[in-house]
Amino acid sequence: MARKRIKVSRPMLITWLVLASFILLLAPQKLTSKFQFAFARVFRWPLSTGRNIALSARIQEPPATAVQRREYVQIQNYLATVRKQLEQQRSRNAKLSAFRKRIPFEDARFALAYIIKASPAEFIIDCGRDDGLTVGQFVLGDNSIIGTISQVSAQTARVELVVSPRAQIAVTIANQDAILQGSGNNSAKIVLLPTKHKVKVGDDVFAAPKPGLLNCLIIMGRIAQCRTNDEYPLTWDITVQPACDIEKLSSVDVIVMNPHK
Amino acid sequence: MHWLRFAVLILAVTVLQASVVNTIAVTTLDIKPDLLLILLVFFAIYRNTKDAIITSFTIGFAADIIGPVMGPQVISFGLFGTLLAYLHRVIAIRKMPYQSLAIFLIGFLSGFLAHLLGLLKSRPSTANTFAVIFGISVYSSLVGPFLFLPSAWWMRIKTDRFSRH
Repeated sequence: MARKRIKVSRPMLITWLVLASFILLLAPQKLTSKFQFAFARVFRWPLSTGRNIALSARIQEPPATAVQRREYVQIQNYLATVRKQLEQQRSRNAKLSAFRKRIPFEDARFALAYIIKASPAEFIIDCGRDDGLTVGQFVLGDNSIIGTISQVSAQTARVELVVSPRAQIAVTIANQDAILQGSGNNSAKIVLLPTKHKVKVGDDVFAAPKPGLLNCLIIMGRIAQCRTNDEYPLTWDITVQPACDIEKLSSVDVIVMNPHK
Repeated sequence: MHWLRFAVLILAVTVLQASVVNTIAVTTLDIKPDLLLILLVFFAIYRNTKDAIITSFTIGFAADIIGPVMGPQVISFGLFGTLLAYLHRVIAIRKMPYQSLAIFLIGFLSGFLAHLLGLLKSRPSTANTFAVIFGISVYSSLVGPFLFLPSAWWMRIKTDRFSRH
């Protein structure tokens, strides 16, 4: 028996496809991102292999030097964080000697995750809700904060990098609280910090503690440029570079606070 | 149209675009050729209008899958792919320079539209958005026509025969 072929006119076809596209556009991102997560999960192996090839092709230095350089950055970042923590602890000791101090990461564990897919503003990693990840958790790369979890599925998660234009993270700079806003060019900005606070190029920028997500200051970046704001002359216009080379990361650590709860 | 071959090609190109293509990215703006855009123009030129419409929207969907948000690319690729398919019924895009020009124009216009639609999904823009769109369009237009031949071989399409149905 001959099959009956359904004939659809071109205008009708375009109308249906455009309609379906607009539904996709206007549907909540939480729903539509399931397609992206599913793709990343199904093609995890070729995507991560391809990314590793791209990474190894991009590294210009001889491998031995590259490892040394990376280790150097890791240690520098760790040292900066520990120094700041020490300074913080000393200050607390002086003021609140009666209180028992909380050891950083006392109630935390780290979820090691490999990067499946990377773009200048975000990563998709191979850990998800099943590994205890939730939205808002901080993500470490080479011992420095590189972003936060923005979306989670069962086995994958999306990391919004600090350099993403959507990212807004509370930071501490020169012992002052400020907001760091990603600018998209592998850098971020701190604006509206009054010029009365002394800051200079090379100063460390720390992610501020957040209840339930981070209990100590951790390095996030360093000031690359510092000048007075053109629009508001009494405030700084500060450009911050991430403390590690985000493009060269192949894995990250997610800070999971109070994992037993 | 060999739809199974088309599906395999799109999946392979989507995975390549999201991974290995970063190897040939240039400048600090991370400008790389858009293989899906090249395929969009290829199908709009070498297939009949109906196939071109379906492939345009499908390629747009694939571009969204590896993009930051779902929706903008499927609309922009779908609309401009359809437009190119209709335009091809009037003007034959046979020579390589014209194909390059088509890739550049479709890349720039679809990138611009996708950017505007992305704003609807509260996707903030960066200062260099237009430079990136321009760079990607130029890069794609330079490498694009050279990828038409392997694509035609895989899809069993004869490039010397034009279809305008």
